[in-house]
Amino acid sequence: MTDLFRTIISYISILAIPLMIAVFLIWGFLKKVKVYEVFVEGAKDGFNTAIRIIPYLVAMLFAIGIFRASGAMDVLTAVIAPVTNLIGMPPETLPMALMRPLSGSGSLGIMTELMKTHGPDSFIGVLVSTLYQSSETTFYILAVYFGSVSIKNTRHAVPVGLLADLAGMLAAVFICRILFGI
Amino acid sequence: MLNYIWLFLIVIALIVGAGKDINDEVNNTYRNEIPLEVIFIPSSLPSGTVTRTEGEFCITAEQFNTYYGITLQQDEIKQKAELALSGGNMGNFIISCSETAPVMWQQMAKSISGKDKLAGKIEKIEFAEDNNSAKAVIIMEPVRFVKLRAITQAAIDFANIAVEIAIGLIGVMALWLGLIKVAEEAGLVKILTRLLAPVTKRLFPDVPSDHPAIGAIIMNTAANMLGLSNAATPIGLKAMEELNKLNPKIGTASNAMVTFLAINTGGLILIPATAMAVRAAVGSANIGVIIGTSIFAAGCATVTGIAASKLLQRLPIYKRDLIAGKNKSEEGKK
Repeated sequence: MTDLFRTIISYISILAIPLMIAVFLIWGFLKKVKVYEVFVEGAKDGFNTAIRIIPYLVAMLFAIGIFRASGAMDVLTAVIAPVTNLIGMPPETLPMALMRPLSGSGSLGIMTELMKTHGPDSFIGVLVSTLYQSSETTFYILAVYFGSVSIKNTRHAVPVGLLADLAGMLAAVFICRILFGI
Repeated sequence: MLNYIWLFLIVIALIVGAGKDINDEVNNTYRNEIPLEVIFIPSSLPSGTVTRTEGEFCITAEQFNTYYGITLQQDEIKQKAELALSGGNMGNFIISCSETAPVMWQQMAKSISGKDKLAGKIEKIEFAEDNNSAKAVIIMEPVRFVKLRAITQAAIDFANIAVEIAIGLIGVMALWLGLIKVAEEAGLVKILTRLLAPVTKRLFPDVPSDHPAIGAIIMNTAANMLGLSNAATPIGLKAMEELNKLNPKIGTASNAMVTFLAINTGGLILIPATAMAVRAAVGSANIGVIIGTSIFAAGCATVTGIAASKLLQRLPIYKRDLIAGKNKSEEGKK
């Protein structure tokens, strides 16, 4: 059942982009849109948008970078671990949950390491895989998306993002404990 | 709030980094200036007065652990070393740390040279009768401020990474913005938005349901769910640009933007491809077991995010930002 689902979705993923290109351009041509000219017109903005992100991305990534390099994650983990122990979350997986909103490559590294040590099919292995996929790199997305339209006052975006991450973490622990519980 | 979290990350990093370095200094974690006894085994038999030679430094795990006051090292240590001797029994050495080197040495080498080289002085070296081995007393080059050095390096590295990421976006950005423009002109985006209008009207009440922003939001979410991150980011940025056209106060996030980012950072996905690839790489018997759990957890995150965005936008402190903005822009018009 899951295999069939997986096969179907992976086919869709592979076909999606060629299909979109074909449909957009052919449909446009049939609707008498000057496809080449319109494409170039739209593409012009690509450069400016990408360049506009740079200061926001530098500010965000440098802070996350020095946070990772300083080893502050160990300290933060030690502080929070007593709380997460209460909901039955193994302390080994806490750095993963804390790193996820900050850094994609950082959390990928932690996930790989934990699966190598504890085995991918162990409770910890399944939990870190789920934790990794239960959320996105919130701070990176905030920097890139808001940066692209020069927004400095993010209002409630950060608390919303963090609440969503927290919910994802709790849901991951909950579902993994029920299905693969110890 | 971003202000506080940003500052928190930086201040905590600096405090923890400096604290760890002071701790290392007080405990002399890296045993600066303390001699270590090792056995040197030359790779080829030296003859006469030895000046330059290559070989291996050998230390038993027990000896290494006592010296550094740790319990980590399991196996006997054998690392390649180059020696330059003067006056027979004094000189310098360079160790090339391989992957089998103790973690401690690898960290020290990385901190000092940025590579795998560890240098130091040879206080005393005595070759055995047959020149097959030698007892040596060595002192490593002092290692200090490991964390603060790492922080400096990370600050520079990550600033560069940020620019690389942004530059790397230019191409795909242009490609997708071009394609979407064609789809808009052809009326395709309108068809898409009309189909999902019942849902998007509720999620984004401030945005007209046939606005191009809605089309971009739908395509971005679809691309994210299929794991097409190359397409998702450019389309997402297009959505932000369209939402910004409706923004009452430029430079401040609108309600619709925050709801959109809540959906986006919730990370709704159909196939958790990244985690599955890693699972396969480390030899999982059932890589797909996390599909269901991931969809459930990401679903919870997304629903919570949307609910939080709708609730928090009503709080006076967040409302104020928008209203103040409206007044200002009206004053500007007068």
